[in-house]
Amino acid sequence: MASLITCPHCGVRPKEEFAIRGDASLIRPAPSASDEAWHDYVYVRANPRGRTVEHWHHIAGCRRFLVVERDTVTHEVYSVVDGTAAAREARR
Amino acid sequence: MVRDYNNRHALDQKLRGTPKPANADHLEVGHWQAIATVLAHVGLETAVERALSSTPELSLRYCGPGEWLVVSEVDTPVGLMRRLDMLCGTQAHVVDQSDGRVLMRLSGPCARRILAKGIGVDLHPAAFARGGSTNVLCGHIAINLARTGEDLFELIVSRSFAESLFDDLMTMGRAFDLSAAFSD
Ligand SMILES: [Zn+2]
Repeated sequence: MASLITCPHCGVRPKEEFAIRGDASLIRPAPSASDEAWHDYVYVRANPRGRTVEHWHHIAGCRRFLVVERDTVTHEVYSVVDGTAAAREARR
Repeated sequence: MVRDYNNRHALDQKLRGTPKPANADHLEVGHWQAIATVLAHVGLETAVERALSSTPELSLRYCGPGEWLVVSEVDTPVGLMRRLDMLCGTQAHVVDQSDGRVLMRLSGPCARRILAKGIGVDLHPAAFARGGSTNVLCGHIAINLARTGEDLFELIVSRSFAESLFDDLMTMGRAFDLSAAFSD
């Protein structure tokens, strides 16, 4: 597990200050989407080996949601960005 | 029915009757302290920060983007709320935390080494300078830590965690003969 996360608001922090809220690459289906699509979105998760994108919540710090891209094998952290900024970027 | 409510300090049980003489490393707790949370409306973060920092009596403690704890050394809790309403009335949410938080002042030549036992942040002056502040985990308790001097730190903690944090700090400071008392 990546043990040091560089929060864009708080600086370098140990992972104990965060809560991992799961996959950040999921896209919410349309309200009218099929039950299967919703079931997949809500319940089905991959357990990837390698590069993953996750939501991390900086609970003991700025209390912002962050998007962390890290490697589950090498523990390397590639990027940490604010969740709001990431969402704004994705909407564009 | 008439009830009497006593306004007791969160650390009253821990500190009542503690001896006054302070050791080199000392933890001081104020009897009361005016503290408020200010959360700027979206887009008005810099305007609110500018308004707050224009008042020298107020000390700003950074919590997150657009959010601060404001500490006043001169105001009563009511006075601080009035002042903040005037400074940033429609630009921010302001909530009185004077009864909700406890402020502790840790001083002494070993203050940094004491804190290092529970805090995962580099406290070297080059990394965490005087005037700096941040939310951080101390042991298992989330606090706001500020450096107010070379060997002077202020910790702000939720009232309900104050006793637990106090016990942790005294354990962290035992090797350094840390003393604790209410300030006068
Ligand atoms: Zn943070």
